[in-house]
Amino acid sequence: MNTRIFRTEVRDELLAIVREPTALFFTVLMPVAFFALFATMFGDDGGFGVESLATYGAFGVLSVVLTNPGIGLADARERGWLRVKRADGTPLGVTLSAKVTAALPYAIITLAGITLVARLTTGPLDVSQVLRVIGVLVLGSLPFSLFSLAVGAKFSTNASVSVLNAVLIPSVILSGLWFPLEMLPTWLGEIAVFLPPYHLAQLALAQVEGGAVWGHVAYLVGITIVGAITAALAYRSAEV
Amino acid sequence: MEHVLEVRGLVHRYGDLTALSGVDLTVEAGECVALLGPNGAGKTTLVRNVIGLIEGDADLIEVAGGSPRSAVTRRKLGVVQQAVGFPRSLTVGEIVGGAAVRRGRPLEASSQAIAEMGMAGLEKRRAAELSGGQQQRLQLAMGLVADPVLLVLDEPTVGLDVEARRRFWNTIRRRLDNGAGVLITTHIVDEAAAVADRVVVIDRGRVVAEGTPDELRRTLPDRRISVRTKLPVSVIRTLDSVEAVELRDGRTVITTTDSEQVVRTLLDLDPDATDLTVATASLEEVLLAITNHEEVAA
Repeated sequence: MNTRIFRTEVRDELLAIVREPTALFFTVLMPVAFFALFATMFGDDGGFGVESLATYGAFGVLSVVLTNPGIGLADARERGWLRVKRADGTPLGVTLSAKVTAALPYAIITLAGITLVARLTTGPLDVSQVLRVIGVLVLGSLPFSLFSLAVGAKFSTNASVSVLNAVLIPSVILSGLWFPLEMLPTWLGEIAVFLPPYHLAQLALAQVEGGAVWGHVAYLVGITIVGAITAALAYRSAEV
Repeated sequence: MEHVLEVRGLVHRYGDLTALSGVDLTVEAGECVALLGPNGAGKTTLVRNVIGLIEGDADLIEVAGGSPRSAVTRRKLGVVQQAVGFPRSLTVGEIVGGAAVRRGRPLEASSQAIAEMGMAGLEKRRAAELSGGQQQRLQLAMGLVADPVLLVLDEPTVGLDVEARRRFWNTIRRRLDNGAGVLITTHIVDEAAAVADRVVVIDRGRVVAEGTPDELRRTLPDRRISVRTKLPVSVIRTLDSVEAVELRDGRTVITTTDSEQVVRTLLDLDPDATDLTVATASLEEVLLAITNHEEVAA
């Protein structure tokens, strides 16, 4: 029964993307265009291959999964549509997981766009590394989706947009996803290890450069659990 | 009789505001109960408790033999809510089909519900392209796709034209005949009087009156006499038991607690009086008297 409801929920979310693709266009376009700009400006210095796919890809994924699920949930709540689903008995887990799942195609399309730009600007890429990086970024996006849902369950649509963007941009910069941390003041750079995007990007980078992964995995698993509990509590107590 | 809804001693507070103070309510299988009262009386809070969206303190609140939430998960409860904004990108067929899936019903049930609400042919139309009345019919189709033992209808006929309203009530009557209970809130008091087996009046968080529409009407002794007469209003006002007199479209309308006496006196004073009718108080007047408010709404 729940599988049938889940499939219907995901279908509805995906139909919304396909039928009103404007949001998809801009959500995907911004990180890809941003990557293309930096790759064009600094590509000759090297480093805009798979390594950059890890950091800019992390930014691309975050810009999707940190905003779309929460804003979609806030909008459904404001419309009263969430009230309908609750009164119909749609399980909490199904509603939340459908929102998270429906954001993944956005993220994958964004990563595909960034990969294409990396291929065009730097030449052939190691396919195995690319697939591992994309896999890590997609799987590692879960805690960010859950945080987004927690915000969407508590704030209005407009407030959710503001809150989530206010979280996205600083955390992306302070985690070294746009610029290397060395370019930031030392004290700012030291904040990175406390930020989830840093660990996601480092885990993705480790697929290219090697290095320790379990510390980052443990951090991301930990915040996934916290995110799931927070999202569930926020959703349960949300005014519908 | 079998209760499909039983509420005992329901209290619900929003901070310092007490929205419901010890409300009792029952709905039997095959019975239609109308919940009436002025704005802010606590009807929506009561409905939301019944459908499990919020939870107050109650001695008992049982829907189809279980808690409201369990009734929802057991698919025993069908709900039509107010002011729902549909996803703009989905079509009528997809929205009602989704409701069928959530209620554990086959997809054919959605086609039937769409047809019952006169929306056949609109299945591929997006919700955003529907008129206000069509959106309300879509909302009703979603509620009707379920096959519940209790249907809770919050302002179901707002924005419906006469034909759609007739279709809707025919469908509800079939559900009642099949043994479902119906709890309805409506601001159309005449409609409540016509369809409800029992009316429950709620005001300031309390049930202040309850009974069949006729029983409630009888609680107000006032009768209204309408007559064409040459007698001046000032004379009629002096008659015993006359409470009010006014002129409406050339007729004299008299409100009285003893219509028989007033009619006899009127005909004695003016044997040529014509078009004389006596009417009991309307349900709306009863409600106004009970709640002592100018406006009665759901």
